Amino acid sequence: MKHLARQFRRFLRYKRTLALGLLCIPIGAAADLWLTILVGDALDQLKTAENADFLARLFFLTFGVALVRGTFRFYQRWWVVGVSRYVENDLKQDLFDKLLALPLSFHHKNRSGDLVSRITSDVENIRMFLGPGLMYTLGACCMLPLSIGTMLVLNAPLAAAVVVPLVIMGLGMWLLSPRLQKHSLAVQETQADLSARAQETFAGVRIVKGYAREDEQAAKFDAVSRANFRHQVELGRARGLSSAITWGSKDFTYLPILFIGGWSMIDRDFQAGDLFKFVDLTFKVFWPIIAVGWLAGVFPRAQVSAQRVQELLDAPNPIADPPEPVRLDAVRGHFRLVDVSFTYPGAPAPALSRITFEVRPGEVVGIVGATGSGKSSLLNLFARLYDAQGRIELDGVPLAKLELATLRNALGYVPQDSFLFSATWRENLSFGSDHELSDAELAELSKLVCMTDEVTRFPRGYDQTIGERGVTLSGGQRQRSCIARALAKDPPVLILDDALSAVDTETETALVRHLKHAGHGRTVILSAHRLSTVRHADRIVVLDGGRIEAIGTHDELVARDGWYRTTWARQQAQEELAEL
Amino acid sequence: MKLAWRKPSVEADDHIDEIPAPKAFDGTLFKRLFAEARPHAKLFAGAYGVLAALFALELAGPWILRGAIDGPVTQALEARQRHADAFESDAFVHDLLFWAGLYVACALGMVIARYYEVAHIVRTGQAVVADLRTKLFRHIVSQDLAWFDKRPTGQLVTRVSSDVENLSEMVTTGLCTLAFDVIKVVVACIVLFFLHWKLALVVSLSLPVLIGVSLFFRGGARDAHRLVRARLARTNGYLQEVLSGIRVVQVFRREERVSGRFTGLLGRYLEANMRTIFLFALALPALDFTVNTIQSGVVWTGGIEILGSSMSYGEFLQFWFYVKLLTNPLQELGERYNVLQSAFASAERVFGVLDTRPGLALAPAASARRVAPEFRGHVRFEHVSFGYVEGVEVLSDVSFEIPPGATVAVVGATGAGKSTLVNLLLRFYEPTKGRITVDGVDLREWDLAALRKRFGLVLQEDFLFAGSIRENLVMGRDAIDDEILAEALEASRAERVVANLAGGLDAPVAERGATLSTGERQLLAIARALAGRPDLVILDEATASVDSATEARIEEAQQSLLADRSSLVIAHRLSTVRRADQILVMHRGKIRERGKHHELLRERGIYARLHTLQFADTHARP
Repeated sequence: MKHLARQFRRFLRYKRTLALGLLCIPIGAAADLWLTILVGDALDQLKTAENADFLARLFFLTFGVALVRGTFRFYQRWWVVGVSRYVENDLKQDLFDKLLALPLSFHHKNRSGDLVSRITSDVENIRMFLGPGLMYTLGACCMLPLSIGTMLVLNAPLAAAVVVPLVIMGLGMWLLSPRLQKHSLAVQETQADLSARAQETFAGVRIVKGYAREDEQAAKFDAVSRANFRHQVELGRARGLSSAITWGSKDFTYLPILFIGGWSMIDRDFQAGDLFKFVDLTFKVFWPIIAVGWLAGVFPRAQVSAQRVQELLDAPNPIADPPEPVRLDAVRGHFRLVDVSFTYPGAPAPALSRITFEVRPGEVVGIVGATGSGKSSLLNLFARLYDAQGRIELDGVPLAKLELATLRNALGYVPQDSFLFSATWRENLSFGSDHELSDAELAELSKLVCMTDEVTRFPRGYDQTIGERGVTLSGGQRQRSCIARALAKDPPVLILDDALSAVDTETETALVRHLKHAGHGRTVILSAHRLSTVRHADRIVVLDGGRIEAIGTHDELVARDGWYRTTWARQQAQEELAEL
Repeated sequence: MKLAWRKPSVEADDHIDEIPAPKAFDGTLFKRLFAEARPHAKLFAGAYGVLAALFALELAGPWILRGAIDGPVTQALEARQRHADAFESDAFVHDLLFWAGLYVACALGMVIARYYEVAHIVRTGQAVVADLRTKLFRHIVSQDLAWFDKRPTGQLVTRVSSDVENLSEMVTTGLCTLAFDVIKVVVACIVLFFLHWKLALVVSLSLPVLIGVSLFFRGGARDAHRLVRARLARTNGYLQEVLSGIRVVQVFRREERVSGRFTGLLGRYLEANMRTIFLFALALPALDFTVNTIQSGVVWTGGIEILGSSMSYGEFLQFWFYVKLLTNPLQELGERYNVLQSAFASAERVFGVLDTRPGLALAPAASARRVAPEFRGHVRFEHVSFGYVEGVEVLSDVSFEIPPGATVAVVGATGAGKSTLVNLLLRFYEPTKGRITVDGVDLREWDLAALRKRFGLVLQEDFLFAGSIRENLVMGRDAIDDEILAEALEASRAERVVANLAGGLDAPVAERGATLSTGERQLLAIARALAGRPDLVILDEATASVDSATEARIEEAQQSLLADRSSLVIAHRLSTVRRADQILVMHRGKIRERGKHHELLRERGIYARLHTLQFADTHARP
C-alpha cells in the first residue's frame, strides 16, 4: 500500500485536470439517477394525466439529461484516464533514466527481460489500478449511496432486500478473483511452455530429424498443448462462475422487487413508477459493484508491481563521482594497473587476478589470450564500467577519485559486439561527437576507417539507415563504423575490444596505422584474437586464466615457447591455406 | 493542462506495417475453420443448445414479471379500489407465489445457462484450437530442412503459439457468439412486433443509428489502437536496444541524449494513446446516449399507449426489458467485429503454413524398402554435387566409399563443404547431381525413418532437449532399456556426469541443456548415439574447447563409438584422424587429397598445412 501511495503522488502533478475529471463523476452519476426518476415519475403520472402532452416534454427533458450525463461521462474518462497515461509516461521516463545511470554490475545481474517487464507490465498494472481503477471506485462511491438512498426513501424493506443479492455478488467476485487469477496465470505459463517447446524443436530440427524424432516431439508438444487446453477450460469455468454469479444475483433482485414490491403496491402507497425505479436502479448499481470487485482482485498484483518499480528506482549506484572528484584539464593517457583483481558479482572464480602493468602515453598496447582469459574484463576496467580491487590510475590519479566525466570523455571505446543503433549512419557516428557531424567530418572519418567506398555505395549515403530496417552491414563494416564513432571526438585514449576480427588483414594494417598516427600521441589499448592485429604494438600482454602469462613485443613473444608462439603458427597456417 | 485529442499523423518511422493489419470478413477462412471444427460437432451443438436455452430464459423472465404485474398485482389493486374490504389477501399471495416460483425456476435456469454459456463456448473454441495446434506443429516438423532454412524460427513459433490462440476467437466470437447475436437480434425484433407493433416500429427504426454509431467508433478505434501498438513496439524496441548497448551509452556519456530520444518516443506513444482514450471516452457515452434516446422514445410512445389503455404496465415493463435484450448485442457489435478481424488475420497466416507442401517427398513411398536385418552400413557417394542456393555449388563431383566397419574422416577449412556431406547422408537435402547409396540401394528408396534409426548421430550443436537425462538418451526409441543405457553410459565415459546429478537418469535438463557444461553435453550426445546401438555413425566433432581431463574422456568415448562401425567423421581431433581408415581432405567443395595420416603428411600438401593449423595445440600440450 505504501508503494502504491508513493506512486499516486505522481498523479498530483496533474491535480487540476485530475480534480476536474473526478468532479465529473458525481455529476454524471446524479444525471444517471435523475433519468430513472424522470421515467418512473412519468409512469405514475400516466394514471392521473388528462392528456399525453407531458410525454413529449418528458422526451425532450430526458434527451437533455442524457446529453448532460453523456458529456460528463466523456470528460470523466478523458481527464482521469488521460492523466493516468501522462503519469505512465513520467514513470517510464524516470525508470529509463535510472537504468541509464545504473552501472554495468547491475545490468550484469539483472536480465534485460526482467527490466523491460518492470518498465512495461508493472507500470501498466500500476496505471490501471490508480487511473481507471480510481475512476471506477469513485463512480461506485457516488452511484451506490445515491441509488440505495433513493431506494431506501421509496421503500426501506424492499431496498434492504435488494441489497442482499448485491452484497452476495460483491463477495462472490471478491472470492472468485484469486481463482480467476490463478488460472489465467496458469494459462499464460502453459502458453510460454508451448512457445518454449516449439522454439526448441524448431531450433534443434536437425537432431529431431536425424533421430527420426518428429512424432515424439509432436507428442510432447501435444502434451503441453493439452495442459494449456485444461487450464483454458478451467479458466473458462471460473469465468463462467463469475458470469453466473454476476448475472444470477442481478436476476434474483427482481424476486424481492416482484414480491415485496407487489405486496407494497396493494398494501401501501407504492406506485408502478416506483417499481420501475427499483428495476432500473438495480441495473445501474450493478456495474460499479463489479468494477470494485475487479479492483479488489487486481489489488495484490498492483501492489507487487509498485514494489518492483520502487525497488528499481531505489537501486543504489556504487559507480558515481566521489565527494570531491579530481578534474583533469588535459588527459595524457597514462594508465597504471597495480595488483588489480576482479570477480564478477556472483561468480565463483575471479575473472582477473593480480594484474600489474603500465600503458604509457602514446603507446599501442595489445592484449591477447584464449577465449575467457579475461581480455574484455580487463578493458572494462579502464572505463570504470566496474570497480575492481587493487589500484588503477590515469595520469597518476586513482580512477575512484577521478571525476567520471573526465575519465570517460578521454576515452574512445569500441565494444566487442559492435553495437550500433538502428538509426542512420550519420546518427550513429554523431553519437560519439558533441554535435551532429557534417558531411566533411563524416568523409574524413570514413577515410580513417577505410570505409569511403562502402559508404558512397549506400543508397542514401551518410543518411542510410542501418540495422534491421535498413542496410545490413557486414561484420567488418559494423566494426569499422564503431571505430569511426569512437574517433569522432578525437579522444586521447582509444580502447578496442577485439574490434578488428571481421576486418580483412590488408585493411587492418592500414587501419591500425591510421589509429596510431591520426591522433598525435594517442594511447591505444586493443585486445584481439587474431595476433596479426597486435603484431606491431609497442607491447603485448598475454593473458591466461585471468593472469598475465607474458609481456613483450611480438618478436620477443614469438622467440619463446608458449601460447603466443603456437597460436601465431596456427594462424599463419590458416592464412596460407585460405590463399590456396 | 490541455490534453491533445487530435488524430496523430502516422509517420514513416512508426513502422505501422509491422503491426498485422486486420483482415476483412473472409468466407473461405470460415470454410477452412468449419472443416477443422467438424470433429467437434457435438461441442458446437451443445454450445448452440446452451445459447438457445439462455435466450429462451431471457425472454421468459420479463414475460413472468409481466404476468405477475398484469395478473395478481393489478387484480388486487383493482379489487381494493372498488371495495377495500372485499380484498382477499390469501388468494393474492397464492397467485403471487405462483409467479414468484416460476420466476425462481427461470432465474435458476439462467444461472446454470450463464455458467455454461462461458465455460462451454471456451471449451469448444479451445478444443478446436488444441487440435489445430498439434496438427500445425506436426505439419511444420514434417517439412524438410530447406523449408526451415527459409523461415525464421521465431516466426514459426508465433504461428503455433499466439496466432493459433488468436484464431480461437474465430470460433468463440465468430462461430458462436456473433452468429448467435444475429439470431438474437432478429428474434427479439420479431417478438417486439408481436408484443406491440407501434412501439416495435419506433425501436427498429432507430436501430440502424445504434449499429452505425457502434461500427463508426470501432473503425476509428481500431486504426488508433494499431498506431498505439506500433508506437509501443517502437518504444520498447528502443528500450531493449539501449539496454543491450548500455556500455556504449555509458562510456560515451550519452545518457542525456539517449534519455531525450526516449522522451520523444514516449511522447509519440502518449499522443497515440490519447487518441484512443478520446475515441473510447466518446464512444461509450455516445452508445449509452443512443440507447437512452431509444428508451425515451419507448417511454413517449408507450406512455401514449398506456394512456389509451392499449398497453398494460406489465406489457410496458416486458417491452422495456426486451429492448435491452436487443440493444446489448448491438452495443457490443463493433468490439466483436474487431476481435473477429484480428482473428481472421491470424487464421490466414496459420492456414498459409498448413498449405505448404514439403519439397522432398519425405514420406516413405509405397515401394520404400524396409531396413534389412543384416544392415551392413556400406555407404557410397557417387559423383555427388550440391548447392543450397541455385548456381552456388558447395560440393562438386564428390565420390568416396565407406566400407562396412570402416572410419572415414573428413578434414578441411571452414566452408570446405564438410557439414554438407553429413546433411546429404542424412537426406536433409537431395544432391543436385549424382547419387548416394547405402548397402547398394539409392538413399531415395529407403524408408527414411527406419534408415535414420540405424544411424548414430552426434552433431556439432550437441542439442539436449528440456526433459530428463533419460528422455534425452532414449529419444523415444522403444528398444532401449536401463541395461543398454548403463552400457552406453559406461562406454561413453558419461557415467560420472549422470552420477553427479541429483536424480541420476531422471535429473531434469534445462532447455538446450543449459545446466550442463560443454564437455558434459558432448559426452551425453555420444552416449545418446551409442544407446541406439547404431550400424552407421555420423560424427561431427565439436570444436569448443574443454579442459584436458574432459578432452581425454571424450576421446575414449569416441573410440568406443567408432569401433567396428561404419562411420563418417568430421574430424577436429588428431587422435581421430590418426586412427581413421581413410582421410578425405576437402577444399572448396572438392576432395583434394585422400589417404592415411602418415601418407598424407608425407605429401606436404593441404593436409600438412591443415595439420599445423588444427592440431598445433596438441603438439604444444604433449
